[in-house]
Amino acid sequence: MHNTLTRVQNVFGFFTSVAFAVAAGIAMSVLLSPQAPSASLELKNVQVVKGRPHYYSTKREEYAHVKFDLDADLTSLFNWNTKQLYLSITASYPSSDPSTIPPSEAVIWDAIIPSDYAPLHPNTYIHPASKAKKSAKPKKKESGKPYPAGGSPGIVRLENQKPKYQITDVSGKIAKRGNATLSLHWNVQPWVGALVWTNKNSIGRWQGLQGGEAKFDFPPLKGTEVKKDDLKTETGGERNRGSPA
Amino acid sequence: MFGSLATLQPRQLAAQVLNFALVLSTAFMLWKGLSVFTDSSSPIVVVLSGSMEPAFQRGDLLFLWNRGQETQVGEVVVYNVRGKDIPIVHRVIRRFGGGSAPLQLLTKGDNNAADDTELYARGQSYLDRSQDIVGSVVGYVPFVGYVTILLSEYPWLKTAMLIFMALTVVLQRE
Repeated sequence: MHNTLTRVQNVFGFFTSVAFAVAAGIAMSVLLSPQAPSASLELKNVQVVKGRPHYYSTKREEYAHVKFDLDADLTSLFNWNTKQLYLSITASYPSSDPSTIPPSEAVIWDAIIPSDYAPLHPNTYIHPASKAKKSAKPKKKESGKPYPAGGSPGIVRLENQKPKYQITDVSGKIAKRGNATLSLHWNVQPWVGALVWTNKNSIGRWQGLQGGEAKFDFPPLKGTEVKKDDLKTETGGERNRGSPA
Repeated sequence: MFGSLATLQPRQLAAQVLNFALVLSTAFMLWKGLSVFTDSSSPIVVVLSGSMEPAFQRGDLLFLWNRGQETQVGEVVVYNVRGKDIPIVHRVIRRFGGGSAPLQLLTKGDNNAADDTELYARGQSYLDRSQDIVGSVVGYVPFVGYVTILLSEYPWLKTAMLIFMALTVVLQRE
């Protein structure tokens, strides 16, 4: 009657049902964890120069190099179901027809901040040491953590941060575009369940993001007076993959 | 085991086969129904490559939603390269257009150093939201899809599984 095959089937079926119920419970339980994210984002400098999309391209387009200051406290976004946080700073500007076409947007900088419980992965953000510490101990071994020393995941303090990407418009012209906005976005990657993006409004226990926006204008095109050092971009954790990446 | 097969009458055997066919068609109906509900040709996909690590690992199951036409920067989308049938799961990093103009997107894998310009078809610099995108990721379950990766890498597993399932359904006497 109850041979081995039936027993194995019953156990496996029960295991599947329980695993499914636990996963659903974990996914829904994130709504109970309160969130109060806040950030202060400021533009430091923006320059527009002529460049090429890649080495062999013959197109000459205008590229904007945007440096910024960021002071964010996103620790409340990390709950029991957070695997990592994808942070990004984007520059958005109005389109050629603002009444019918929404603003264009491009990422200038991003970082992947894993939770402390996530397994170690080379594609992780390494928070730069603060300038004050650098002058005190010039060759101290970098802690290599995605948050500043003494902090916890979600705290990001950057000064005069170089962008990771130089951006252009699809038309190739980005100089002298006015009414642009620099804004902070995030994407919470859970262990299981729904992905969550930036919320500006408050929903239940989750408060919306306070701050995290800065308005600016793209300056006119600069010529040869811009030094090559000023146009260096930041490299991210994805370069640790070796080549080809 | 085969003795019981010999004593099955043709009517019972036909009933078992019909049962099996009903199970298969119900699964197919559920899949197509979900496809219509999400407006996506493939509402559940398995991550095949490591280009989105550490967010998505190989074998993760992703749930897609295709009814949001105004895809925002930072969303993870699944798209097919024009002319090829391989779905790629990457994050949107630039968007132009939308509203009355076609929405153009540029994507990049989190674990890739360069954006996807080289992956797109010849002469294509941006993805078109209405044509190339299969859906946008709204939820995920880790590891569950690894079975499909095994099935595609070891084709004999597929035949073995089908034969095993057919045998258990036919030989079970409820």
